[in-house]
Amino acid sequence: MMSPVLGGVMLAYLLVGLLFLAGGLWASSRLQLWARLLFWAGLGAHTMALLGRWWESYHLALVHTPGAGFSESLRLVILQAPLSNFYESLIFFAWCLPFLALVTFRHYLQGYLGTVVAILACLLLAYASLGGVDSRIKPLMPALKSNWLLIHVVTCFLGYAAFTLGFGTALLYLKQERWPRPSLPPLASMDRLIYQATIIGFLFLTLGILTGAVWAESAWGRYWSWDPKETWSLITWLVYATLLHARLVKGWQGRRIAWLAVLGFMAVLFTYFGVSFLLTGLHSYLT
Amino acid sequence: MTTKRSQPQPWLWLWGSLTSIRLTVFLLLILAVIAIVGTVVPQDQPPAQYWDRFGEGLGSLLWRSGISSIYYSPWFLGPVGLLGVNILACLINGLPQAIRRSARRFTWEMAVALPERGRFHWQGGADPRPLVAAILRRELGRPRQQTLPDKEVFFYERGRFRPLGPYLVHLSLLLILAGGLIGKFWGIEGRLMLSEGEEARAFQVSSGAEQPLDFQVRLDRFQVEFYEKGSSPKEFRSDLTFFQNGREVERHACRVNDPVTFGGFTFYQSSYGTQPTGPVRLQVSQGDRSQTMEAPMRRMVELPGGDGQIMVVRVDGNLQGFGPAVQLAYRQGPGHPQIIWVLEKHPELAEQPGPHRFTLPSLSFKWYSVFQVKRDPGVWWVYAGFILLLPGFFLAFFRPSQRWAVVLEQTPKGGWKVTLQGVSPRARDAFAARQERLLELLKKGTPS
Repeated sequence: MMSPVLGGVMLAYLLVGLLFLAGGLWASSRLQLWARLLFWAGLGAHTMALLGRWWESYHLALVHTPGAGFSESLRLVILQAPLSNFYESLIFFAWCLPFLALVTFRHYLQGYLGTVVAILACLLLAYASLGGVDSRIKPLMPALKSNWLLIHVVTCFLGYAAFTLGFGTALLYLKQERWPRPSLPPLASMDRLIYQATIIGFLFLTLGILTGAVWAESAWGRYWSWDPKETWSLITWLVYATLLHARLVKGWQGRRIAWLAVLGFMAVLFTYFGVSFLLTGLHSYLT
Repeated sequence: MTTKRSQPQPWLWLWGSLTSIRLTVFLLLILAVIAIVGTVVPQDQPPAQYWDRFGEGLGSLLWRSGISSIYYSPWFLGPVGLLGVNILACLINGLPQAIRRSARRFTWEMAVALPERGRFHWQGGADPRPLVAAILRRELGRPRQQTLPDKEVFFYERGRFRPLGPYLVHLSLLLILAGGLIGKFWGIEGRLMLSEGEEARAFQVSSGAEQPLDFQVRLDRFQVEFYEKGSSPKEFRSDLTFFQNGREVERHACRVNDPVTFGGFTFYQSSYGTQPTGPVRLQVSQGDRSQTMEAPMRRMVELPGGDGQIMVVRVDGNLQGFGPAVQLAYRQGPGHPQIIWVLEKHPELAEQPGPHRFTLPSLSFKWYSVFQVKRDPGVWWVYAGFILLLPGFFLAFFRPSQRWAVVLEQTPKGGWKVTLQGVSPRARDAFAARQERLLELLKKGTPS
């Protein structure tokens, strides 16, 4: 069961997508403005829902540690961030998308591009609301009790989200190249947006891998153990490293970069979903 | 590369290939493919597993070619080594120039030679210099200023150290690879299993050999805590005491995510279990007859009365927080054995199939705890690489180098000629946007 607030956020994102679409089709800047305002409002409610779950999770954990002092409570706050299972990761992923899009794409976030971002965020929430995804707050297992949990998960998902934005833009780029429409940003701008999203994603993915490695070193005594999740995040990293080298050193642009962004996103999808459902390993508690 | 294979300069050709981006991209993609193979083929399993899964022919091929342990085989180490050489070659090739470029201070001579980006005239007698300085300070940062006989030059540079960024990133990757190698050759890793009260002077290395310790370590107590009965575990904790020359030196609690380091080795809580001390004593009742029996571990024994058999499969010192328990395989009549749990403190929770009722009067057992033990001098190299990566990324991606100059020349009529000059080799779009804005602001400042 999903909280009614998140249900509302999901509907808001759907509406945002439709408004952006309508704004693009009828070239109405007023609709675009409404879409953007509603997007911010939805993101605000989404943030409140996340914080609410954090609060609830913290208070549930407090029951098990009565008489906690200040530093212990602070540690509990960090540990109880709502990022410890598959449901919570989906909700956070869905939060990262509009957040990064609104902050980094700014005025380019309109029309079809806005629609794609809003619909993707909506789909992630819809997936989280399905019955198969367990949404209960559970006490934290010993393996996850680490201060690295928060920073590791946050950086990884910001990375995933940035790559998702790059993927959405790449799709629109490829579409625009084939069937041009005036309602999309010019090809050169979209090419730059793909590159920008890739840089942000690459930075966060790298940070995610590094924090994961430091955590693994302190939990299991191995900073790298070729666990499928680790390996697939490395594969993703290699694909995007290829993209960056192709662009920065070889000067590739446009279609070929867009295809590499699509390929990289396939690796992201497999790292997030594929590994959790098809392969077993150290990260299997996610499912 | 311009040098061809046929020309008498094979070294140049080799160097050209080693520093080529084509090699880099090729290696990155090859490594990605090999890593995919490594997640599809299960790694480091006994050979029989591969035969079962892939058939005799393919299975033994996987085993013998090293694909079953791909990350430690030439399949992977070869390309990684070549990538290391590739990175090193690129560093040697480009780093000196990057250092020279970053070391060179941006001077007014360089500033006046920048390509022109816009020019306009400023009429009227007011002195434009303070205004230009203010605009540049607001839009870019504090500009430097040079007064020449016929003109005034304002110039500003950002991202001077940008050229170092990519080299820092690649240097840190080399550090990480070096750390991996150091750990492989000079690190030790193994497992240590201790029962409560047991003391160890050595641990098992993965090759099966024993690695002696120059101290002793004793497991005093192991505990597993649950959030509540029937829920998930909250904490695994091993209390360890370290001795040197028979004298107690330190005591530590080792938990998951909270390892203990002593004498250069680090101990990580890795797994645990329960060992019965002596045979398991069970109370068996059937109707109103009740008898005590002893059952050894993992051996089918007849029940008293002879109309059933049991085998103790497992003992657990704290089953999901309900306390000590034994797992029994129980068979009565033909059919398959049934698996049941019998709990010492909660007899009511045991399922009781068939006519027999089992209770566990008291279970005598000991915990054992398993530790990952290791010493890895390479970790600090890896961490150094991690730390160096951050400024590298910052410089490479977030400090595009930009050079700007505004040149003011007094015209004979008393006005000023304003020229905006600048260059940014990599961030062309951001540069174009800023150029437009600067021109607009400078023109707006013109008194009409």
